Amino acid sequence: MDSMMAFSELTELTRNDKYVQYELFFGPNFPGMHGNFGYILDVAGSTITKVRPNPGLLHRGFEKLMEQKLWLQNLSLIPRICVPDPDPNEVAYCSAVEKIMGIDIPERAKFIRTITLELSRITSLLMGMGALGAMMGHYTVMYRMMQDRDRVLDMFEWLTGARVYHIYNTIGGVSRDLPEGWIEKTEAVLDELEGNIPEWDKLLFDNPVIHTRLTGIGPLTEEEAVQYGIVGPSLRASGSTADVRKDDPYAAYPYLDFEIPRTGGGDALNRAIQVRLEFAESIKLVKKALHMIPEGDFKIKLGNSLKLIVPKGDAYARVESSKGEYGYYIVSNGGVKPYRVSVRGPSLPGGLALCHKHLPGMLIDDVAIWMASFAVCPPDFDR
Amino acid sequence: MSEMLTVSRQDIMDGRYERVLDWFRSRSMWMLYYCTGCGAIELPPTMTSRFDMERFGIGPMATPRQADILLITGYISVKTLKRVVRTYDQMPEPKWVVGFGSCPINGGIYWNSYATINHLEKYIPIDLSIAGCMPRPQAVLSGLTRLMEQVKKGEAVGYKKYKMNYDWYKKNQDEVLYRTEPVLGGSHEAE
Amino acid sequence: MKRNEIMEKIKAGFPGADAEPRFSNQIHAAVPAAQITGFITYLKQMDFKHLVNITCVDWIEENQFEVVYNVWSYEHHIHITVKSVIDRTKPELQSISSLWPAAQVYEQEIHEMFGVVFLGNPDLGPLFLHNWLDLPPLRKDFNAEEYSGAAYGFVETDTAEATCIVPMEEN
Repeated sequence: MDSMMAFSELTELTRNDKYVQYELFFGPNFPGMHGNFGYILDVAGSTITKVRPNPGLLHRGFEKLMEQKLWLQNLSLIPRICVPDPDPNEVAYCSAVEKIMGIDIPERAKFIRTITLELSRITSLLMGMGALGAMMGHYTVMYRMMQDRDRVLDMFEWLTGARVYHIYNTIGGVSRDLPEGWIEKTEAVLDELEGNIPEWDKLLFDNPVIHTRLTGIGPLTEEEAVQYGIVGPSLRASGSTADVRKDDPYAAYPYLDFEIPRTGGGDALNRAIQVRLEFAESIKLVKKALHMIPEGDFKIKLGNSLKLIVPKGDAYARVESSKGEYGYYIVSNGGVKPYRVSVRGPSLPGGLALCHKHLPGMLIDDVAIWMASFAVCPPDFDR
Repeated sequence: MSEMLTVSRQDIMDGRYERVLDWFRSRSMWMLYYCTGCGAIELPPTMTSRFDMERFGIGPMATPRQADILLITGYISVKTLKRVVRTYDQMPEPKWVVGFGSCPINGGIYWNSYATINHLEKYIPIDLSIAGCMPRPQAVLSGLTRLMEQVKKGEAVGYKKYKMNYDWYKKNQDEVLYRTEPVLGGSHEAE
Repeated sequence: MKRNEIMEKIKAGFPGADAEPRFSNQIHAAVPAAQITGFITYLKQMDFKHLVNITCVDWIEENQFEVVYNVWSYEHHIHITVKSVIDRTKPELQSISSLWPAAQVYEQEIHEMFGVVFLGNPDLGPLFLHNWLDLPPLRKDFNAEEYSGAAYGFVETDTAEATCIVPMEEN
């Protein structure tokens, strides 16, 4: 045994800072990382002491690309900014352009937009819940959510022809009318999703492991959340009632009667509960909207799409995505291409600013859960 | 009873049993969990119960040191390229690269972007490309089964190509990653 | 507070600022660059506590940068777009990173993409780009298409070339 190190010698090593403090690359090549993004963590033992975010791995220069394309060509580009939740991009872009042009879209188009937005929200919330489950090693949740998500994607495919990037909302309305039988089938799918909720409540919230794991991670008061610019479900889980759908209504939301769920507390468990409540509310909202769709045009005619000119001016338009306020600030100089497009992604404040406050002091194991609970989605801040 | 077949370590190292080994390799492939781009969104449906990749013998793997397939899911920015090359170098042979979507082939919709590379095959060898933006889970499965066929026949030899032409690949990588001169001349003025 | 009252308060506090209503719930304000920190602090005291984003527009013909601040009030449900114009040849502006933590990141991004210097921002290092030596990419005089071709190979011709260059020797 004399060739091996004595136990006391080993414990002595752990007291030496040289062996305990190190730099850890959390991501991009890491299964707990959401997308292609990384934190560089300074670690002592397994406690984080300092964090440096390393964004830009998904940077594609969208804001420059949009200046090089025509107003309508950009529609094929923008859903790619946020992959799990693409429709808010389309609607925010279109409503900013419509604001500059001073046009109002037909009622029917407003309702169809609302439905696509909420369905996209549903898919994204399912993905978020699944990811949160997977981060805790609870892969059953992930499998369950993916199955439900795929049902909604099938409806999208029928409506728009694509599973992920729909490119369906366009300037002046939506690009085509609802196919025959789509409403009935969508209702059936939504009924099925609603019927599954108790089952996965049992899986997630009836589970002591999940309670223990989530309680106390990333505590946030309402005041701090506003100060840091946190939006959406994470803000409402801290007790706020702010929601773009109520505060700055767009599309058909003013005509619809719906509740914004709100939980207090502000830790990861409360955020998970908030997402679950919003998911149920979204299903109800789509069902209501499906019954209320008025007849009429789905689009206003804007002439030759290659020659579409937007008058000089600038506008900011916002949409409530599954992660919160998604905004586009668009400047036009009266040409056939945008002069400047700036995107406000909802996860930048959480992913790049709040991490400096929350991650130091946390264990390495909790970083993935922290990210999932704030729904940090790297493509929307990398752009 | 006739004599048993004995295979020595040297035999395998000499490549005398490659055909048998290729057959085994094609039936158990580990795909690295690295989402380089937006195509990664179609992987969870491919992996989970609806399309179920595992029935073909393909499963996800967390570390490059035990992975066989590097799936390039979409566009690659220069910053990612550095990580992709390092990941590829870390993977043990035999290893295969699958380009997923249009972007690794010719830049796709980002062909005129200043941040993303246009041709991935200049930096690492691609064994198979799945076209589309983005490819559906069915297309992914069809591509992966095609790769299995190629591996079985011993046709997927990108890693050998990489070793043989390492200098050429390395030159291209360095040109993009460790630039010392501005590309268009006009440099960032001093601040 | 109603939109009119907010505009009156803006004009009372900052006579140099120009504010006008637009759309249903937005205000457009233009402020001289020297007053920007004071103006944003003033808005924040009026319950405009949510910093939506900070961005920049390159007006190359006028030889100026326009830095744009978007703020929103959860109390009044009013959005204000604040614009401040700076000289393009000497782009400098006071930082507001002490007011909101996220402002630091937005300013760092604008510095990287346009080259605007924010005085007082603790970190203006590279954020998104890898080893960038050219002009800041979102400036109008930077040609992304030309850059992409020169740096990564033009799309039309190079595919055939690349496949030919690699010699393939079967063993």
